[in-house]
Amino acid sequence: MMNLSNQPNTGGIMKKLFALLMVSVIMGTMFAGCSKNEPTKEQTDSVDNTTTTDGSSETETMTEVTNVTVWYYWEAEGHQKTLNKVIDDFNTLQKGVSVEAKYVPFTDFKKQLSIGASADELPDIVILDNPDHAAYASMGIFADITGEFDVSNYYAGPVNSATIDGKLYGVPFGSNCLALFYNDDMLQAAGVEVPTTWEELEAVAAATTTDNVYGLAFSSLQNEEGTFNFLPWVWSTGASSYEINSEGGIKALKFIKGLVDAGSMPVEAINWTQGDTKNQFISGNLAMMINGTWQVPSMRSDVPDMNWNVAMIPQDKEQASGLGGENFAVIAGGQEEASLEFLKYVTQPEVNLFMMNNMGYISPNMATADGQFGDDSVYQVFVDELEFAKSRGPLPEWPQVSDAISLAFNEVIVDISSPEVAAEKAQKTIDSIIGQ
Amino acid sequence: MKAIKKFFRFDNIGYIFVLPAFLYMMFFVGYPIFSNLMLSLRDVNMRNIKTGIQPFVGFENYVVLFTRDSVLTDALINTLIFTVASIVFQFIIGFGLALILNKTFTLAKPIRGILMVPWMIPITVTALMFKFIFGTDVGILNYILNALGLISENIDWLTNPFTAKIALIITNIWIGIPFNMILIATGLTTIPKEMYESAAIDGANKLQTFKNITLPLLKPTIESVLILGFIYTFKVYDLVWVMTSGGPVNSTHMLSTYSYKLSFEMFKYSEGASVANVLFVILLFVSLIYLKVVYKEERT
Repeated sequence: MMNLSNQPNTGGIMKKLFALLMVSVIMGTMFAGCSKNEPTKEQTDSVDNTTTTDGSSETETMTEVTNVTVWYYWEAEGHQKTLNKVIDDFNTLQKGVSVEAKYVPFTDFKKQLSIGASADELPDIVILDNPDHAAYASMGIFADITGEFDVSNYYAGPVNSATIDGKLYGVPFGSNCLALFYNDDMLQAAGVEVPTTWEELEAVAAATTTDNVYGLAFSSLQNEEGTFNFLPWVWSTGASSYEINSEGGIKALKFIKGLVDAGSMPVEAINWTQGDTKNQFISGNLAMMINGTWQVPSMRSDVPDMNWNVAMIPQDKEQASGLGGENFAVIAGGQEEASLEFLKYVTQPEVNLFMMNNMGYISPNMATADGQFGDDSVYQVFVDELEFAKSRGPLPEWPQVSDAISLAFNEVIVDISSPEVAAEKAQKTIDSIIGQ
Repeated sequence: MKAIKKFFRFDNIGYIFVLPAFLYMMFFVGYPIFSNLMLSLRDVNMRNIKTGIQPFVGFENYVVLFTRDSVLTDALINTLIFTVASIVFQFIIGFGLALILNKTFTLAKPIRGILMVPWMIPITVTALMFKFIFGTDVGILNYILNALGLISENIDWLTNPFTAKIALIITNIWIGIPFNMILIATGLTTIPKEMYESAAIDGANKLQTFKNITLPLLKPTIESVLILGFIYTFKVYDLVWVMTSGGPVNSTHMLSTYSYKLSFEMFKYSEGASVANVLFVILLFVSLIYLKVVYKEERT
């Protein structure tokens, strides 16, 4: 061995062994971060049925437990509890499949799904936002489950969001839509009736605006949430999502601008999520808001004494609302059979009803939805509105189209561009995306 | 054989010691950078990332990004202005504080400790905090400005494209002052007291002392602080993302946030990689300047 220094060999064999040990430890820690990130494969009781990625699905024998992982993004505690209860019931009812749910925050959900897709690390079932369904289905990560479910009684909008080329790549979980929430006391104090048209809405918003209160607000973020809240105004004029630079599109932009200029709607709304908007409303800072069905359960528990109600969104030419809600999708190459078993359980009318009612959703099954809420007048408005709820897309490139749309209406609210200029810019982007 | 033996002479032992670190860097830093470069030369988006059919398009991504709209150019300008403005003020204020707190008075040490707090708070927390402070109707800044009679109407700090940039810069200055202060304070301690004493004997006043003794002797420290500060600030991400997400209307995007948005919100992975490469090239250039400066210092 080389004598690396001019000094005598002190310390001897122990020192060398210790040095060797330290080197190994350091090398080991260097590679500690190398381990593949497997967020979904935490089960240790699975025998040999881990998710395969070579496109073949396992056929399981009933003596082995198949593990199924579900990803979802519901942050409301009530939603999570409901989902977990359903899963526990399913796991108890039969012993062949064991389901586990994992919460992935909404803002991270698409990212995780995309990363998971490219790294081949996906769960077995995802519960995802309906406008994103087409995009991921076109990536080829969802299994074709045409024929596995009877969706003939389902609302058309949700089913369409999961269909590509006539094939079904998922099954709707539940739907919701937007409506007009209003503070009854404030409207009465201002001596105005609930608005049904745009002109009336402008007047009521102005009348109910005071020093501390804005007449109307809705989430205007520059992302999917904002687009979701803005499009119903466009649709109400008769224009489609892809025709922003049209008479209708520009009219919608002008309408929003009018509300902001009059001081009835806060510019701050471009930073508010739908949750933030709801909080502003229940704090008494807003007379009216556009928001969704899923806010109802928490509003009822948070402000039981507040005198609020809902009405259909004031219209221009036609009644329009935004279709929200999630779909189930089965990951291709995952535990498809076991996943389908779980989904068949969950889509049964009783189980579905349980989830819908606890989470403030409307059943995608028209027959169930009809009697779902008994004579609860608030939910009934949403059921009525659901008939006019349009879906965004379905289009694989929807995120990009959505970005152009929310940018346009943000530019108008912040007063950077006039409605015409903003509309033209958005149209240019949209045309280049959908290839016209 | 002789060449190998020659390599393993004592003089070259340094290379062998550096080898593990070098391999580590090549694998964990070099490979991703190279891979990113390749990604930016292809057309990869959500559609084809799994199918593997990713056409080679050369520099088309870069061209498209610069010509399609002004977001990239704006992001570039934003990053530059943000960095320069932050550094200038952070440096001046930090320098001033370092000078003041260099005198040994009783509370100097605790005050220095408290002044380190902005640096120690996680940036996400700071960003959220300032997002509230700059809030139009709920923010304390507008409240104070109103109370002092300086403004009559609330300023739309974060919803107006111009003031949003200012708000970001102010926040970043607040965050970066401790870094500058502590490095310069350390540099100040290396100046021997005898220098000041002999200057006092020679009859130099405060300004002359500062100009002819303090500054020249602090030159290496100042260079390090400025260049490292530049590199660190140029790649700002979390502060901007949490406070404004690049908004309103894409007006506060930095190169890093725009790259993130392209890759993870629009799923245009190649375009995101291209923006990241622009950021990388600029910083590489600055780093090389830094190395040259430090090398020159160590030689003298």
